[in-house]
Amino acid sequence: MKFQIPIGPQHPALKEPISLRMTVEGEVIRDADIRLGYNHRGLEKLAEEKTWIQNIYLTERICGICSHSHASCYVQGVEKLMELVPPKRGMYIRYLVSELERIHSHLLWLGVAGHEAGFDSFFMYTWRDREVVMDLLELISGNRVHYAMNTLGGVRRDLDEGQKAKILEGIVTLRKRSEYYFHIGANEPSFVGRLAGVGLLTKEQAVSLCAVGPTARASGIARDVRKEDPYAVYDEMDFEVGTADSCDVLGRVVVRVKELMESYKICEQIVRKLPSGDIAVKAPRKAKPNEVVARYEAPRGENIHYIKSNGSDKPERLKVRAPTLANYPATVEMLKNGFIADIPLIFAAIDPCICCAERTVSLVNIRSGEETVVRLSDLRRQAIERHRNAPPKRNAVWPF
Amino acid sequence: MTDVELIENIQQALGAKALEVTNPDRRRIFVRIAAADLVAAVTALRDGFDCRYLATISGLDKGETFEILYHFAIPAANINLRTEILKAAPRIESITPVIPGAVLYERELQDMFGMVIEHIPDPRPLVVPDDWPAGNYPLRKDWKFERPQEIIPGGKS
Repeated sequence: MKFQIPIGPQHPALKEPISLRMTVEGEVIRDADIRLGYNHRGLEKLAEEKTWIQNIYLTERICGICSHSHASCYVQGVEKLMELVPPKRGMYIRYLVSELERIHSHLLWLGVAGHEAGFDSFFMYTWRDREVVMDLLELISGNRVHYAMNTLGGVRRDLDEGQKAKILEGIVTLRKRSEYYFHIGANEPSFVGRLAGVGLLTKEQAVSLCAVGPTARASGIARDVRKEDPYAVYDEMDFEVGTADSCDVLGRVVVRVKELMESYKICEQIVRKLPSGDIAVKAPRKAKPNEVVARYEAPRGENIHYIKSNGSDKPERLKVRAPTLANYPATVEMLKNGFIADIPLIFAAIDPCICCAERTVSLVNIRSGEETVVRLSDLRRQAIERHRNAPPKRNAVWPF
Repeated sequence: MTDVELIENIQQALGAKALEVTNPDRRRIFVRIAAADLVAAVTALRDGFDCRYLATISGLDKGETFEILYHFAIPAANINLRTEILKAAPRIESITPVIPGAVLYERELQDMFGMVIEHIPDPRPLVVPDDWPAGNYPLRKDWKFERPQEIIPGGKS
């Protein structure tokens, strides 16, 4: 007997409403289909009618969590088009904000993973600590989400000694807390047992479906734009690319945990090495006809912007590819042969933050056409219930 | 591998298919090919240079023609294949048999530019709504958005 389960498309807290239609046989998902476009805002068309400066604020609004990523990627490209060389200090501050943003995004994700796995104290602890980094971002930029730090040729706000000391202090706290949670992870076999073996994506699949970011790195592909194509300050930083080869949700947790540690390292290096001087240079109003491909490693994976100028003060074409889009074909593969109870966990694992809101899932019986509506909280409770009764995975170990 | 060596290797591998190879910036290589050679060139790049990661496909309206850019990334560089098709007959072969991850980007091209991707495994619209009027392709330069007049049911005429 086959059922089809539609999930979505509307849920209030998500920037990308998405519709998933899953064909299930009993509790096992046999096929998944993704439909997009519910939040298509025609941003690429709009960008052609805005000036270079206006587009910084437009691209910043592509995403609510990695807002700085899109703006930085765009600014990187336009600076190349305008042949601007931003001052060192400005670049250091820009990528300090990038790394702090990565920390807040990964801490958010870790909490969500804990919540979906039924480990709510983990969720509350990581989100409490996320406030430390959110406060640091507010201290630097005056805002918690849309930092508006970037401008063509540098950044808009400088750092003073007091702020530097506070950032270093915050990083020490975050690192200590993170180490404590990893210790909890290592001593909580039910958490590891829930995540191991769920949402499998082999290395071969990840390569052929062009997966990016932590999803690809958890399948053993060491692809990180910061290392592969070091932009701006990253060739001066000492850090490692975190990978895992377990190809499941546990691997994705491990990769993000490793990246957190590396981001703390990068932040400390940036603050300690911060050069003196200006933070921005003056940018021209127009750009010569040219084209550029800008790449940037956002928290969820590679961001790529293709920008073409035509000599005016507006772009001829701005093409944006956000990392979540690149991960959809891989998500379909991950969902196949998984359980209904694992949908929230697998979907959360690519970090589209579909899981922050309460919403409904309706189960449609194909034979009778009868529809029943299930709240996601019930689905989650079923998931926890099922795993309580499932035999423990004795061979699953915390990889730290 | 430096950019110069890589360009030489690409020219050797693609032979006469590579109409023009440019290197505007460090680690950025643009290769112009004819639209008919697309699948052969992508296959040659995948087999010879391990170009299996397609970052995205960009479409571009150039008036009489459409330009399509296939952005590949390998650890050594960013290789961008560029090809042009006529706007009057916007047909291009799908590269999904070679790069399965390209399907979403090709569907986006169909929606946004009205190109016809031949032999695409899944031709449904990707981003436009179900009731989108046929023949409207938003990213064409001659397409302008006109807000439909709002009619309030039961309101004043």
